[in-house]
Amino acid sequence: MKSKLIIAIAAMGVAVLFSSCAKVPQAEVDAATAAIQEVKDAGADLYVPEAYQALVDSMKSANEKIEVAKAKWFPNYTKAKDLLVVVSQMAVDTKAKSEARKVELKAETEALIVEVKALVVENTELIKKAPKGKEGREALEAIKSDLAVAETTVTEVEALLANGDLIGSNDKIKAAKEKATSIKTELEEAIAKKGGK
Amino acid sequence: MMVLGKKKKIKWLIIILLSVVFVAITVSVIIVSQKELPTEDLRIAREALSEAKEAEANLYAEKLYKQSVQMYDSAMVNWSRENNRFILFRDYTRIIAFAKKSKKVADEAKDESIKKADNLSKNVEAAFVSLAKKIELYNKLFKNLPLSKSVFDAHNKSKMFLSESKIAHETGKLKDAEILFKKADIYINHANTAASKMLRDYFNDYPRWKRLANDAIAASKGGNKVILVDKVAHILYVYQSGKAIRSFDVEFGPNWMAHKERSGDKATPEGNYRITSKKERGSTTYYKAMLLDYPNAEDRAQFAIKKRKGLISRGAGIGNLIEIHGNGGRGFDWTSGCVGMRDRDIDDLYRLVSSGTRVTIVGSIEPLATVTGGVDF
Repeated sequence: MKSKLIIAIAAMGVAVLFSSCAKVPQAEVDAATAAIQEVKDAGADLYVPEAYQALVDSMKSANEKIEVAKAKWFPNYTKAKDLLVVVSQMAVDTKAKSEARKVELKAETEALIVEVKALVVENTELIKKAPKGKEGREALEAIKSDLAVAETTVTEVEALLANGDLIGSNDKIKAAKEKATSIKTELEEAIAKKGGK
Repeated sequence: MMVLGKKKKIKWLIIILLSVVFVAITVSVIIVSQKELPTEDLRIAREALSEAKEAEANLYAEKLYKQSVQMYDSAMVNWSRENNRFILFRDYTRIIAFAKKSKKVADEAKDESIKKADNLSKNVEAAFVSLAKKIELYNKLFKNLPLSKSVFDAHNKSKMFLSESKIAHETGKLKDAEILFKKADIYINHANTAASKMLRDYFNDYPRWKRLANDAIAASKGGNKVILVDKVAHILYVYQSGKAIRSFDVEFGPNWMAHKERSGDKATPEGNYRITSKKERGSTTYYKAMLLDYPNAEDRAQFAIKKRKGLISRGAGIGNLIEIHGNGGRGFDWTSGCVGMRDRDIDDLYRLVSSGTRVTIVGSIEPLATVTGGVDF
């Protein structure tokens, strides 16, 4: 009777030993990996690079935790699983942040386009009022040409925006705004000088 | 008795077996626990990689950064492989070596990236200064030349790319700043090269202009008034007794740098002419005018030669009605090849000169070096 008991305990021990070898949370790993890829496809590495990098680092950390668990006699993937849940949530948040940044960037560029277009119209009117004496007219010709470049840039920006290049279009329209603003200042100063004479 | 002895034997056998298993497990646990896991090294490597990325090593120290990433990945792959082996046979030495190497290379990548980004930033800043000088040169020497639209556009595009480059530089996008700067440089170089070639080519005629101007001044020495027009300076001088007694700002046609050779080319002729008639108010649409004897004999001869050589289309005429007239002071070159003056200036000139007065028109009285103020271009 005693020996049967001992055998049963030994058998249970072996059973416990093997049953403790928990499985790698592959489904969670795959889900998190897919979520990160989705975030990258959404352009998060461009629009929210810091958040994206944090996400990638967290995934690496989760992978390390899995290996740490695997290295043990009795693997326990709870920590890794918990982190993978966090990673998946981070992926959702990062994608949302990226989308929000894209919307923000697009709105900013569109607003700047309107602003630059208005400046072009304003400058065209100012050119009419600007002094046209010696040197003045030539300077005005140069200004007109400068303004034409700013105007062309707006067209280029609109094309970039239509192609989804939100960062490139934003940078370009900022330069166009700077140009149009400097032209306006130049014209206003010339007109003010003329008025002062 | 026999059964009792057999049971005892089995009991002892089980006890011994369990003891062996227990000892084996204990020894294994001790062996495994003695093994150093690569956890800490990999964490350090991961953090080093993250810092390198933050320093944009993926852009400025791409090779090192990639190496570091590969080593980290190799460490992880090897770790996973080792973990799939029986616990007692696992060996983490290589993994730790990979992780340590990854950290080292990531640190190097970070340092190199910071250094390169710093150098790039300085280079771009220096390039901005150089580009600004080129733009200034254009504004100083070439802005007022009758340049082609493509040259004009190239100059303006360079300014726009420079602005974009500056914005990229300010926002830390140094690579973009460099690309944009290079575009700006290409455009300004194109504009300045074309403009400087135009100016130099134009001044090839300087010895002739100098001779014409000297002759005109010499002709005034007897007391006669002589008109000398400097196209580059946009000034009309009235000479008498070898001295300039008056000077007036003038304007020409949009193609003023060329020598007039056919009708409608908007160029102003160069050479010796005379006033053939003076037109009072009402006789001209340009307030007052003085008609010149363009084309003179030399112009006709040149026209015939060029036509023969096919340099001028067969149907083209030589043109006429080149005048010094009013309605000027517009600040740009607007005439069809005539010399435009402000009305109050032509009033003065009208009083000063008469029909038959010599009018010498030259590209420039001064040599190129003087015109450009000694600026090297």
